[in-house]
Amino acid sequence: MSEWRSSEAARGLALVGPTLLYAVAMLAVPLGAVLVYSFLTDGYLTIIPEFTLANYAEVFSDPIYRQVMARSLGVALAVTVATVVLAYPVAYFVAFHVRPERRSLWLFLITIPFWTSYLIRVFLWKVILGYNGVVNATLTGLGIIDEPLTFILYNVNAVVITLAHAYAPFAILPIFVALGKIDRTLLEAAQDLGESRLATFLRVTLPLSVPGVVAAVLIVFIPTVGDYVTPRLVGGPEGRMIANIIQLQYLRLDNYPLGSALAVTAMAIVTVIAVGFVLSLRRYLRVRQ
Amino acid sequence: MADPIIQLENVTKRFDDFEALKGVSADIREGEFFSLLGPSGCGKTTLLRTIAGFEAPTSGQVRIAGQDMAGVPPNRRPTNMVFQSYAIFPHLDVAGNVGFGLRRSPMSAAEKARAVDEALEMVGLAGYGRRAAHALSGGQRQRVALARALVLKPRVLLLDEPLSALDKKLREQMQGELRRLQRQVGITFILVTHDQEEALIMSDRIAVMFEGQIAQMANPEMLYRRPVSRRVAEFIGVMNFLPARVTASSPAGIEVEIAGLGRATLSGDSHAEAAPGEPPSVGIRPEMLTILFGNEPETGRVAEGEVREVVYYGDMTYYEIAIDGAPGTVTVSMRNLVNRPVLRRGERTRISWDERALILFR
Amino acid sequence: MKGRWLRAYTVLYLLFLYAPIALLPIFAFNDATIIAFPLGGFTGRWFVELGKVPALHDAALNSVFIAAMASVSATVLGMLAACASTRYEFPAKRPIMGFIMLPLVLPEIIVGVSLLVVILRAGLHLSHWSIIAGHILIVTPFSIAILSSAFASLDRSLEEAAIDLGETPWSTFRLVTLPLVMPGIISSLLIGFTISLDEFIIAFFLSGSEPTLPVYIFGQLRFPQKIPIIMALGTILVVLSILLLVTAEYFRRRGIRRAGGQDSGGFLG
Ligand SMILES: Nc1ncnc2c1ncn2[C@@H]1O[C@H](COP(=O)(O)OP(=O)(O)O)[C@@H](O)[C@H]1O
Ligand SMILES: [Mg+2]
Repeated sequence: MSEWRSSEAARGLALVGPTLLYAVAMLAVPLGAVLVYSFLTDGYLTIIPEFTLANYAEVFSDPIYRQVMARSLGVALAVTVATVVLAYPVAYFVAFHVRPERRSLWLFLITIPFWTSYLIRVFLWKVILGYNGVVNATLTGLGIIDEPLTFILYNVNAVVITLAHAYAPFAILPIFVALGKIDRTLLEAAQDLGESRLATFLRVTLPLSVPGVVAAVLIVFIPTVGDYVTPRLVGGPEGRMIANIIQLQYLRLDNYPLGSALAVTAMAIVTVIAVGFVLSLRRYLRVRQ
Repeated sequence: MADPIIQLENVTKRFDDFEALKGVSADIREGEFFSLLGPSGCGKTTLLRTIAGFEAPTSGQVRIAGQDMAGVPPNRRPTNMVFQSYAIFPHLDVAGNVGFGLRRSPMSAAEKARAVDEALEMVGLAGYGRRAAHALSGGQRQRVALARALVLKPRVLLLDEPLSALDKKLREQMQGELRRLQRQVGITFILVTHDQEEALIMSDRIAVMFEGQIAQMANPEMLYRRPVSRRVAEFIGVMNFLPARVTASSPAGIEVEIAGLGRATLSGDSHAEAAPGEPPSVGIRPEMLTILFGNEPETGRVAEGEVREVVYYGDMTYYEIAIDGAPGTVTVSMRNLVNRPVLRRGERTRISWDERALILFR
Repeated sequence: MKGRWLRAYTVLYLLFLYAPIALLPIFAFNDATIIAFPLGGFTGRWFVELGKVPALHDAALNSVFIAAMASVSATVLGMLAACASTRYEFPAKRPIMGFIMLPLVLPEIIVGVSLLVVILRAGLHLSHWSIIAGHILIVTPFSIAILSSAFASLDRSLEEAAIDLGETPWSTFRLVTLPLVMPGIISSLLIGFTISLDEFIIAFFLSGSEPTLPVYIFGQLRFPQKIPIIMALGTILVVLSILLLVTAEYFRRRGIRRAGGQDSGGFLG
């Protein structure tokens, strides 16, 4: 067995090898290709292998792209804040007020909607928020409003609501895991040392749950920036986001270099924001429990 | 005497930059109950796993029944193991667990079933074959692990702290049963434990280990009465140490001047190693010091002192006594008898002792 | 006291989560072509209509084939990686595992776009296989998460015991390891199947002339008169997904119980 142990590294690498190779071939190489494309010149229906920065120049100078990029980030930020803030109490409830043997049932209930057709769920929000939708029918039926509301569909608001709904479980699960890891005697110790429940929460529970919150923020923020379906179905023209523009460039206008430059730029901005966010909270992330 | 069943020759084991075994040599005899005793982290499990074949020695040799085991995997060794966690297969029932190792045996299905039943009966679980693994109590899991190993009739059974997960009552009961089982099957048992009492109760011989080395290997009585070092003496039972000075030394005996006890002459073989850098001292076990109540006549040498602490155990009373002229206190244990009072703190008392109970550590 | 407010909030939150899905059967059985209130009468005709659309059947078959291939491949890859990461220390372990898990946070459009670029660049045609390749990529991290917890809750001394009792490393894997992680494998297959079946963006970018079910549905959403049929289809899909998930959860829990472990929560935990 010592041969096993001394060659532990080799065995581990051999085992992870196929999966790693697959990820390299299907993810690293394609991402590299997108990066290369973003520096090439677009000829109509072909690509001219000439190095250029023109795509990036266009991405950064065209006000439409700038606006869409800003909107994507703004929507993602709003969705992230809304999702995480709304999800935290739910995670807290399941972690601290549900008997251990019932916890997985609650988590299961929370995750089920997430696994049902994304496309149809988004479309249903259109039904809920539409002119003759659930919200308007209810409000007019109750006599609260005379005319159906129109500011809740085909705009940024609708996108935020829909995305906050779609990513809810992604926010709840990591926070729940972080809360679950907190040693309960720490909380008792804080109260024993004279803190109120609220102060205990603020001084002990919240800081110790930061790793879960960070994971939740990243896991919600990054994919929402690049969401395509929601802005397309409920966003209307003024709700378009970066993924819609990228799709337009690739599949409609056949401008791969510009589409690639948009994708690379979006990824770069998101990466910078994510890394900055993590670094700003690294003090809390180093806590070992 | 027959050849030893297991011979360890200068076995070392290195994990990265940590040396878990630093040259262990030992012969373990066929049919004996052998214990590896030592504080946690001293390398007992590592040594046991080296014998089982789960670790290969960095240097040195392990021979089982005269054969060098280098390169022989665990499944080809005539040893079987009772794991600390018991490692009961959760997807198999009790009979499936006990019969696990018989899969490759040439026995017929009926013979295998009989072997399983016999093994279960031997550990007191007759009729439990169809029980699910997860429906077993701690003690029952331990018995299944034993039966599973014994059914293969190994030359050597290795047990890694098999009783440490059990509560005190059950542990004491299993200690007796393990001992009985070992006599019944006659197989060599090697038991790893950090509990000196357990080792003393169960073993024919004990190897005391510190930091990857065997400090002493002896039968329980020798280990208790003639520890080879102050460290072993402190690990096995309780021992009092009094500062001492050697005044004369000859093959016939050693003359010492002991704080609080005065002059004494020790026989030539009653001395052992002190810890490096420690000044010489004389050790004496608590039961070798006798309190003289009232006007009891003196039976040997006598010292005087004051009772500082009394700990009443029911059958015994332990006293901490400050002997006149000696630093600190010594522990004295006295059996509680009908006509024996229990002293109070602050009382003065006489203590009798005998030269033959002293061990010099230098 | 505090617990009661939290519970009330959580129940409200669950209502919010389930609100859209709750509408599905309402409109699926609603006897009106327009998806809006007030409702018409009760009808089962949309479900009948479902049976009369060959294009939908083809799309469903495409999706099932793709989901089966993707979930099986991802489970195999996930098992290798989960075993390596829970059992072995190797150089650059964290970055390697981080990279493999990256698709979990990467926007799917990026995966779709980048695969599209290389597939076309390599002169290949878009087919089921291009979608399968993309789906394997995004399903593998989920498989790894599920199977890692299966491997982690497996006591190593069980395998050592099997070897000690005379089995070889390979027969130990077959007799001990495999049965004990089997629930995790089944759970991974079902979750992978569900994810792939539902995935839209990658399939949208990489499907050639044969759409998957979500791509087909997306196309139909433009035609108002087709919506009730889609609602009926959605109802069936939701019921199917829930059945798959309940089964997956059942196996996940059984796996933890079997391995004698403690249930720590959801499979992502
Ligand atoms: N696989 C391993 N890798 C590194 N160090 C180990 C390994 N196994 C044991 N050790 C170290 O070797 C020492 C002895 O361990 P062990 O034999 O388990 O002690 P014991 O059973 O006496 O408590 C410990 O300090 C332990 O940390
Ligand atoms: Mg040990």
